[in-house]
Amino acid sequence: MSRLFTLAPLMLFLGLAYLIPLAGIMLQSVTTPEFGMQNYSQALGDPLVWSVIRRTLRICLSVTAIAVVLAYALTLLWLNGSRGMRVFVELAIMIPFWLSVLSRTFGWLSLLSNRGLINTWLQSIGVISEPLTLIRNEFGVILGMVHFLIPFAVFPLASAMRDVDTRVVLAARGMGASRLRIFWQIFVPMTKSGIIGAALLVFVFSLGFYIVPTLLGGGRSVMVAELIYLRIFQIPNWGLAAALSALIMLSIGAFLVALIKRTEGTMK
Amino acid sequence: MNKHFQQDQVLLLKEKLESGALSRRGFMQGLALLGGTSALGLSAGSLHAADKDMVFVNWGGDAIEAMAAAFGDGFSEKTGVKVLYDGSGPLEGSIKAQAESGSPTWDLVDCDPFSGQALGKQGFMRPIDWNIVDESKIRDGFKWEYAASSYFYSYVIAYDATKYDTPPASMADFFDAEKFPGKRAMYKWGAGMWEAALMADGVAPEDLYPLDLERAHAKIAGFKDNIGAFWGGGAESQSLLLNGDVSMALIWNTRASLLHKDTDGEIAMTWAQGIVAPGSTGVLMNNPVGEKAAMEYIAHSQDPESQVKLFELLGNGPANPAADALVPEESKFFNPTDPANFAQQTPLDMAWYEENYGSALDAYLGVISA
Amino acid sequence: MTVSLKPGPVTTAIGALTAVFLLMPLLAVIPVSFTPKRYLSLPKGEWSLRHYEALWDKPEWGDSVLLSLQIGVTAAVLATLLATAFCLGFWMLRPKAGGLLAGIALLPMLAPPVVSALTLYSFLQAITPWNSWVVYDGWLGVVVAHTVMVVPYAVVILMVALSQVDRKIDLSARSMGANLWTRIHAVILPNIRFGILSAFMLSFILSWDEIGVTLFITSVKAITLPRRMWMGLRDNVDPTVAALSVLLIVLVTLVILGRLVWEHSQKAE
Repeated sequence: MSRLFTLAPLMLFLGLAYLIPLAGIMLQSVTTPEFGMQNYSQALGDPLVWSVIRRTLRICLSVTAIAVVLAYALTLLWLNGSRGMRVFVELAIMIPFWLSVLSRTFGWLSLLSNRGLINTWLQSIGVISEPLTLIRNEFGVILGMVHFLIPFAVFPLASAMRDVDTRVVLAARGMGASRLRIFWQIFVPMTKSGIIGAALLVFVFSLGFYIVPTLLGGGRSVMVAELIYLRIFQIPNWGLAAALSALIMLSIGAFLVALIKRTEGTMK
Repeated sequence: MNKHFQQDQVLLLKEKLESGALSRRGFMQGLALLGGTSALGLSAGSLHAADKDMVFVNWGGDAIEAMAAAFGDGFSEKTGVKVLYDGSGPLEGSIKAQAESGSPTWDLVDCDPFSGQALGKQGFMRPIDWNIVDESKIRDGFKWEYAASSYFYSYVIAYDATKYDTPPASMADFFDAEKFPGKRAMYKWGAGMWEAALMADGVAPEDLYPLDLERAHAKIAGFKDNIGAFWGGGAESQSLLLNGDVSMALIWNTRASLLHKDTDGEIAMTWAQGIVAPGSTGVLMNNPVGEKAAMEYIAHSQDPESQVKLFELLGNGPANPAADALVPEESKFFNPTDPANFAQQTPLDMAWYEENYGSALDAYLGVISA
Repeated sequence: MTVSLKPGPVTTAIGALTAVFLLMPLLAVIPVSFTPKRYLSLPKGEWSLRHYEALWDKPEWGDSVLLSLQIGVTAAVLATLLATAFCLGFWMLRPKAGGLLAGIALLPMLAPPVVSALTLYSFLQAITPWNSWVVYDGWLGVVVAHTVMVVPYAVVILMVALSQVDRKIDLSARSMGANLWTRIHAVILPNIRFGILSAFMLSFILSWDEIGVTLFITSVKAITLPRRMWMGLRDNVDPTVAALSVLLIVLVTLVILGRLVWEHSQKAE
C-alpha cells in the first residue's frame, strides 16, 4: 500500500490545482446558457469548426512528421557524430531555446519576407525576378512550428538513444549485417519509445499553438487553439468554448491512452 | 519594483524630452511628480502595492507610458491615488473572468464600447456615474451606459506611394486590383472590414447599418486572391507595409501616421472613406478602489489638454470635442477627429456590434480561412 | 556508451542541415540587436549598443530575468520530483487504472492552453483569500501554475526513459531481497539519470518561455521575462528583447564550449 505514495503526490497536486477548477469550467459546456447538450451539437454542426479541425490536423501532422524525422537525424549526430559536429549540433539544439518566440519570429520575417534577406539575395544573383512568397501562407506556418519544435523532440529521442543497448548493435555488426539493415531493423525499433514520445510531445504541443501561426501564416490559417481563444477571450461564449475543448481533449486523450496501452503491451 | 518603475519613468520623460514630445516644463513637472509619489510612502522595493493603488488595464506597449503621462501622473498628483497600468489586454473574456470572480483585481479597462455594454448588461460593469463624468465633454452619439468615450481611432487606407501615381481615394479603389495592382492586407478580426467591402460595392456610408454581411463577404471572397495577409496586431500591420509584403492595407490610423512619418511619406495614408471607431473606459463591478475614485479618474481624463497629449504620444483622437482645436496645426492632418478628417469617415455602429459581432466574425473567419 | 552507430553520410547531411536551419534566425536576430531604432528593425549602416545599455540601465529587465529564473528553477524542481515519483510508481506497480492516471497526469498538456489559463486563474482566485503565498500576481502562484503546465512533459520524458530500462534487472534485484528504496535508489534511478536531467531541463525551458497562462495570472507585480517582452507586442517589440537573446546565446555558447574544454583537459590528464 505504501507504494501508492509514489503516485499520490502528483495526483493530489493536479487534482487540487487543476482538475477541480477545470471541472467547473467544463461544466459550463452543459449548463451555459441553459442545461443541455446544445453546445455540443452546435460545436459539431458548425462548418467553421470542421474546417478549422481539418486544417489543424493537416498542419500539426505534417509538422510532427517533419520535426521528428529531422530531430532524429540531429540527435544521432549529437550523440554519435564526430567531435566537432557534436559541439555544433549541441549549440544548434540549445541556442533556439533562448531566442524568445518574438525575436525568432522577427528573424524569420526579416529573412523570408518580400524585401527580406533571402529574396534580396536571390534577386541580386538573378535567380528570380519577382520576390517569392515564402511566408504569410501555410508554408510559413509549418516552417515556424517545425523550427520551434525540433529541439523539444530531441529530448525524448536522446533519452531513448542514450539507453540503447549498444551490444546488440555491435553484435549485429559483428554478424555482418549491412549499415542500412542495422539502422532500420535494429536501431530504429529499439528507439521506438523515444520516437513515440517525441511525436506525442510535438503533436500535442503543436495543437496548442496560436502565436506562430498567426504571425507567419498571414492570419489565414486559423487553428483550433486560436478558435478556442476567440471563444473564450475575444467574443466570450464559454459554454461553446468548453464544449469544443472537451471534445478535443477527449479525442486526443482517448488516442493517447490507447497508444500508451499498446506500447506498454509491446514492451513487456 | 516601484523604485524601478520610477527610474523608468524618469528615463522615459528624458527620452520624450529629447525627442521633443515633452516640453521642458512638462519634464520638470514630471520629475516633481515622481518625487511626490515616493513621498506618498510607496516604499522602494516593496512588492506590495499600496492600498490606494488603482489598476488600469490597457493594451500594452507605448500605451502604458503614454496613458501614464497623459492621465495617470496628473491624477496621482491631484488625488494621491497611484495609477498602475497593466498592459495584458482587457479582452472581453478576461474582464468577464475578473468580474465573475466577485473580487476583481482590476479597476478600469480600456475596452470597446460594445464589449462594455454587453458586459454591463450581464452585471459585470458599473454604470458610468454622469454626476462625476461630464456628459458635455463627449461627442454626440458616443454616450453609453457602461462605457465612457475615451478616444477615437480609425481604419484607414495606407499605401505604398512609390507604387501609385494617383493615390487611392475610396474603398472601391482599395478593392480594385487592376487600377491599383499589388497585394492588400486587411484586419483579421473583421471590424471595419465589412463596412469597407460594402462601400466598395457601392453602398452609401449612411446606408451601411444594419450591415449586409452576405454582400460584404461575397465582395471579400471575390477579392481574396489579392489579399496577402490578414493582420491581427498593430506592429504586424506596420511590418507588412514596411517589408513590402503588401502595397496597400486597411490599418489603424495610429500605425498609418507612424508609417507616414517614419518613411517621409513613402508609405502614405488617406482619410477617404475611413471608418472611425470609439475607444472607451469601463469600470469593473466591485472594483478594488471603489466606484468614486474610478469615476473620478474618468472625469480627470476628459481634460482636453491631457487628451491632446495622448494624441501626440499615441495618435489617438480626443474624445472631448473641445480638444480638436488645441491640436497643433502641423499635427491636425493626423487627428482622426479633426473636423476635416471626421467628415470623410463613417463611425462604427456600436449597437450593431453589440448585437452581431460574434456571429459576424465567425462567418468572416470562415470566409478568409477557406 | 561509446561508439554505438556512426551516422552515415545521409544522416549526417540531414542532421547538419537541420542544425543550420535551427541557427538561421540568428542571421537576423544578431544584427537586429544593434539597431539604432526603438523598434525591431535591421540596422542600415549605423549600428548602436543602446539596447544592450538599456538592459543595464533599466533594472526591471534584470528583475524579470531573476524572477523567471527563480520561477523556472522552482517549477522545474517540483515538476521533476512529482513526475519522477509518479513514473516510478507507474512503472513498478503497473496500476490497474493506469490509463486513467496517465490521462490525468497528461491532461494539462492536452487541454487547449487558453482553457488551462482560465482554469489556473480561477484556482488562484479561489485560494488567494486563504493564504498569502500562492496568490494571483505572486511568484509562488506562477510557480504552481507553471508546475501544472510542465509536469505532463516531464512525465512523457520519464516514461520514455523508463521504457528503456530492462525490467529483468529490477526483478532480479527484487528476488535477491532488495527493498523498494534500494531498488529505486540503486537500480532504477541510475538507469534513468539522463531522463531525469532531460525532464528537468525541459520543464525549466517551458516555464522560462511560458506566456499564455502567465499573462492571465499576473498583473502588475509578478512580471516574468516573457511577460515583459510581450508587453510591447501590440505596438512595437522592443529590440532589447533581441539584445537579451544575444546575451543569453553568448552565455549558453560559452557554457557549452567551456564544458568541452574542461572535458578535453580531463581526458588529457
